[in-house]
Amino acid sequence: MTVRTRAWRSAVAAALEDAVPGSVDLGALVYVERLLDALEHDPPHIWAAPGVWSGGFGDPGADAPQWLELGPWERQAWSQRVGEWRLAYDRVAAGLPEADDLRLVHEHACEATYGDPAYGGNAGGGGWVRIGFPEPLHPPARGDAT
Amino acid sequence: MSTTDCDVVIVGSGPGGSTAAEVLCGAGWSVVLLEKGRNHLVSTTPPHEPLRHFANDEIAAHRRHLLGPDPLLEPRTYRRSVEDGDHLLVGEVNNLPSTVGGGGVHADAKLPRFREEDFRLRSERGPVEGADVRDWPLTYDELEPHYAVVEQLFGVAGETGTNPFAAPRSSPYPLPPGDDMPMALVTSAAAERAGLHPYRAPTGINSVPADGRPACTDCGFCGGYGCPVQAKNDPIAALQRALRTGNCDLRAESYVTGIVLDGTGRRATGVRYLDLRGHPEPPSREVRARVAVVLAAGAFETPRLLIAEGLGGDLVGRYLTYHHQTFTVGIFPSDRYPQGTGGERGRSVTHLHDDLVVDSPELRGAAAAAGLPWVRGGVVEHGAGHLPVEEAITYGRGDHHLSSMVDSALRRRMWAFTMQGEDLPQASNRVDLDPRIRDVWGRPAGRVTYAPHRHELVASAHAAPLHEAVMLDAGAEVAFSATSPPRGDVELHAAANPLGAAPASRHVMGTTRMGSDPSTSVVSPSQRLWDVENVLVCDSSVFVTSAGYNPTLTLAALAHRAAVELCGADPTAGDAAAGAQSDRSDSRASASAVAERNRS
Repeated sequence: MTVRTRAWRSAVAAALEDAVPGSVDLGALVYVERLLDALEHDPPHIWAAPGVWSGGFGDPGADAPQWLELGPWERQAWSQRVGEWRLAYDRVAAGLPEADDLRLVHEHACEATYGDPAYGGNAGGGGWVRIGFPEPLHPPARGDAT
Repeated sequence: MSTTDCDVVIVGSGPGGSTAAEVLCGAGWSVVLLEKGRNHLVSTTPPHEPLRHFANDEIAAHRRHLLGPDPLLEPRTYRRSVEDGDHLLVGEVNNLPSTVGGGGVHADAKLPRFREEDFRLRSERGPVEGADVRDWPLTYDELEPHYAVVEQLFGVAGETGTNPFAAPRSSPYPLPPGDDMPMALVTSAAAERAGLHPYRAPTGINSVPADGRPACTDCGFCGGYGCPVQAKNDPIAALQRALRTGNCDLRAESYVTGIVLDGTGRRATGVRYLDLRGHPEPPSREVRARVAVVLAAGAFETPRLLIAEGLGGDLVGRYLTYHHQTFTVGIFPSDRYPQGTGGERGRSVTHLHDDLVVDSPELRGAAAAAGLPWVRGGVVEHGAGHLPVEEAITYGRGDHHLSSMVDSALRRRMWAFTMQGEDLPQASNRVDLDPRIRDVWGRPAGRVTYAPHRHELVASAHAAPLHEAVMLDAGAEVAFSATSPPRGDVELHAAANPLGAAPASRHVMGTTRMGSDPSTSVVSPSQRLWDVENVLVCDSSVFVTSAGYNPTLTLAALAHRAAVELCGADPTAGDAAAGAQSDRSDSRASASAVAERNRS
């Protein structure tokens, strides 16, 4: 697992908070770090498998998200993409972001605040709660599984 | 020892390829079905259960390319005209899913039929300068039996007799309509007050349990998502039926790179493909077909393959059409709609109106004022807004973020009309090969050159104020309209418009036009390449005109027709269709319940 300095984490957190106020409290920094480390797992932590909360595939007894396999070419694409994002976040942490880096930070802050909690953000569904977005329905298959 | 691997090899597992596979396999023919993308849909081992990879997960589906294609691997390019140089944009251009099930996986499965006039547009309406409007080489009456069968196979839920503009039908919809989205009832009532004729959308989503699949749960993650419960016929049911015959060999991650011809160059003996399970050097493999090669890779990838192979003639890729989309957005007041417009739940779109497809004094007036002989719009979808990640990105960064999200003008308070406007065919609108951009496997990227005809702009300008007035009458506090492709500063749209500068429509048509004259078409009325007669095209690239209706049911009906002709199956009551109907017999009681609920 990649170790990041306190200064790196502090600067990135500030950028995320600047993009979407409240996002860090909801786990945005965790989201970004997990994304940047996603390829260090097998399967990579890119696509959360439908599991306890969204039906069917995963182990309903698991206490952590499970993940879909990537094909070899998808793994190549995500390695390239995440590698570029790591450089972008290093520029953000160094206080030298490019315009595209700030756009990336904003998009990730939005994903972290309002996306599936399986990815490390939107802690406890708090992002949905604060905007009145109803938690996604549990389809019947999941009810059967649990 | 056999010298062939199958009777027919099919390229592409979307609604066209899957329908063809089901017909052929049901008739006892052996099929190898090749799909470039990953398989997230259905197990290839008996009993071919769903893989259940799909969840109500905006990040995986919309942000992380779960359904493919990944633009880093498969970039496409876009330009408006040759004036833009080699390309204006590189990346995602009209990316339909590249995965088993193809475009059917992401669609919210609105499955209207075309009307009689759509097949005879040149005869009924006449030519338009700058466009190449032609009749199709078949009529609605000839296609109607195939429409009827694929509606059964897809389990289309709909309501017969409520759309006054619908073409004649030989049978009712097999399933009743699903639950209405409440706000669609509000905008439908306003549309009726404006003299329009809204009706419940024919939809390929189970309204009741059928075909061994459950009814829709109205989860709201519909358009753009794979269905987590397989209520959507995406087309998992067709694939399952084909696989369960034992005659279908479904191979995902198989990227077809060539069509193999015999010594005459006039007959295909199979295809070559890259086995993308291999990395970094995917092995090249060949499938040898006894009878035919069926191309069903969609109106972007089918011409891309043919052009790379030098097959199909000079017209391959030309007459690309989309639907020119006009979005009329209504923002509704939260004091009147404290629960919002309800877009978080439901099937994205449950109501349509067709009034702008049919001839009317108003449309004639708009055409005359613009110096056009006629104008047609398209089907208008009454639908809901964004999901929260997409909405949040649209608002931009900064302190206003939370108040914008709580106010939620673009999600919770939004309702929209989307007109899928008829796009006239122009020879200059085309798919070809980009001279500079290649995919990760070294093959030239597909390139779109596209600009709308003036007809589309006039139709859009006519529709926008009409629909804005309906939105306001429905209770919206503000209404405005936009189009895709956008008008105005391309730089602005490329950077800031959530729909981008290229056409956002996933309704991609034309490019291997069907016709009776080899000098003006790429495939024959039997959907066979004129120059290699045992290569059939079974996707929307054979469309002669775009009509103003979602293309999936028509392309599936055409695929059904072509496959039936190829194998000589009973065109109206094949085993698969009969089985599908039989499976639905138990659903009649619950169908009545849903119908009763909707009536009330």
